[in-house]
Amino acid sequence: MRTNRKGFMAALLTMFMLLAACGGNGNTQGAADTVSNGQSTAAAKDVTLEFWTIALQPTFNDYFNDLIAKYEENHPGVKVEWKDYPYDAISQRLLTSTASDKSPDVVNLNTEFASQLGSKGALLNLGEYLTDEQAKSYFEGIYNSTVLGGKAYALPWYTGTEVLFMNKKLVEKAGLDPANPPQTREELVEWARQVHEKTGAAGYAQQLVSKLFPIDGIPILNEDKTAAAFNTPEAEAMISQMRDLMKEGVVLKEDADFSKQIQYFSGEQTAFQLSGPTFINFIKTSAPDVYKNTIAVPLPTGKANLRLSNSMNLVVPQKSKNPKEAVEFAAFITNAENQTAFSKVANTLPSSRTSIQDPFFTDSDGSLEAEAKVASSQSLDKATDYMVGVPSASDINAALTRGLQEILMNGADIKETLNKVEKEINNIISQGS
Amino acid sequence: MYKGIRSETFTAWAFMAPGLLFLAVFTFWPIIYGIPLSLTDYSVITETHYVGLDNFARAFQDSNFLISLWNSLVYVLIVPVIQILSILMAILVNSKIPGVKMFRAAYYIPVVTSMVAVALIWSWLLGNNGVVNYLLLKVGILSEQVSWLSTSSTALYVLMFITMWKGLGYYMMLYLAGLQGIPTDLYEAARVDGAGPVRLIVHVTLPLLRPHILFCTLISVMGAIRVFDEVYILTKGGPGTSTLTSSVYIFQKGLEQFNFGYASALGLIVSVLVGALSLLVFRLNRRGGVNSY
Repeated sequence: MRTNRKGFMAALLTMFMLLAACGGNGNTQGAADTVSNGQSTAAAKDVTLEFWTIALQPTFNDYFNDLIAKYEENHPGVKVEWKDYPYDAISQRLLTSTASDKSPDVVNLNTEFASQLGSKGALLNLGEYLTDEQAKSYFEGIYNSTVLGGKAYALPWYTGTEVLFMNKKLVEKAGLDPANPPQTREELVEWARQVHEKTGAAGYAQQLVSKLFPIDGIPILNEDKTAAAFNTPEAEAMISQMRDLMKEGVVLKEDADFSKQIQYFSGEQTAFQLSGPTFINFIKTSAPDVYKNTIAVPLPTGKANLRLSNSMNLVVPQKSKNPKEAVEFAAFITNAENQTAFSKVANTLPSSRTSIQDPFFTDSDGSLEAEAKVASSQSLDKATDYMVGVPSASDINAALTRGLQEILMNGADIKETLNKVEKEINNIISQGS
Repeated sequence: MYKGIRSETFTAWAFMAPGLLFLAVFTFWPIIYGIPLSLTDYSVITETHYVGLDNFARAFQDSNFLISLWNSLVYVLIVPVIQILSILMAILVNSKIPGVKMFRAAYYIPVVTSMVAVALIWSWLLGNNGVVNYLLLKVGILSEQVSWLSTSSTALYVLMFITMWKGLGYYMMLYLAGLQGIPTDLYEAARVDGAGPVRLIVHVTLPLLRPHILFCTLISVMGAIRVFDEVYILTKGGPGTSTLTSSVYIFQKGLEQFNFGYASALGLIVSVLVGALSLLVFRLNRRGGVNSY
């Protein structure tokens, strides 16, 4: 028995030593050379870059194959292997490949996930590689979304800002004029109330996420990102108002994710929808009649008078074996010329300043798609991601969502819950997890 | 042939070897490996440090984890309900009434249906404008729509119901196999002694089904504590922490937030809890069966 126990402990200790030896030591390269913007340079050695994207194959195969071919032609010795994964799978893939020391070189991630990985030291600080001119070529608010502690962990790529979609039929039935849409959140609430009173439909459905705070100018964290800063009287007032609106039926009493929002708008249970232009494709398929009756206008702003972007980024994992070439390729994919071309193919918005001057983003042919595109592209200069420089963004988002659900759906006390979530988030920040 | 090992035993091990090998690689090893992991801040992507018992100390101060444990224990309440209903269903489909095979198949269909499909169908049925609300409003049981999965007072019980609905057919089949192993002369003897249908069930069927009840209760308890699919697909643990079960929380901490060290510690705590409950089930069901063991 005693021998068995000793044997077991010895086995445990051996395993622990093995595990400790597995600790990643990342890329230890210090300050790096700056990179070109996709200009012709030859790699010192033959390099194969692994480039991962989210849900872009097979729709955009031609665009990327041409782009990669062009890049390889201008960069002798560099070969790009493009792989595409579903949205839900990319984080697991990244983890497993990192664990097995086969890290990709350039990865497409959303802002929240990029911030989460950046704050854990898993991504390269791209600021060391970019020239000032390159860094300034992106919209400032979007570029800063993944800057943590002065380190830029991602290059912004394609993005989207929300617009307000209105069901014209319901709005007119409520006696409102769609030609003079609401400009502020307060006006939107009034419109929603009137729609609910006159038609029985709710104003809109929304997801209970942390962006509800910055919309109203309530910062999630303090200036230097060391503590929670959302537990304020303004936040209490904002949540209290939302609770009342849900009680009235003006806003649906539900934490409605995007697919549910599509369902509600398609079924004319809501008159308004606050989301990016991609919403159009879904509504077109699920409810053609509603699509014909829908118009898009710029999103009414909250107290902070800003519009939130929802960006995709390119990051270079710390464990990439070819950091310099990887950053160079990421800069090439996200340069103004290539972003403009991709936006035209994919009907997304670019994050580079000069792209937006292209007539594609300023001219409208009157279709819903064009209206939404023009409305959203004109607000990119004041766009910022709602998770600007937030470390451990996923954990913080989860805690805030849980808190909002407790208050708005489970009837918990506002102040008490905000105190609890504040404590939880401060713990997350202090533990770095 | 190794001396001292009966050929029968050797054959048995030979048959079990492939399965055991798979279990060893994909189940036993990860469980054992979780022990040293739980003593670190392992996150795959960053350097690993030894943190001693910090993760365990943190776990017992983590209100979300404690809530998730409580919800998992509440989930265990479905075990007796599932067992009673599935035994009754097994008795019903064991009778010689016409069309009984159709019923057996119908009850078993949810078992072989993918949980993702089941969860999505139930989410539509239980939606604000779903069939469930429509029917209950029509017959006057409800006066207004209920958001079944978005209301803290109903969400967990609705999920438990879905788990039960999907699992009933599986346990029914196991009990059916048990029922068909009970000698008919025992029933005849009991009838001669004047036992009615209820006494037959209480004094003949249930005692002889005890091994099956033990097995079914055991896997049902384990399943209830480890429930993941339906919760993750339908509510992700919300609203708030109303349906946060331990498996979902461990998944979120590990695979969504990369705190694998902490998630391993939570996993170990839950494993100990499952082990303790399993022992309890064993102690409560030690006798009975056609062949006592």
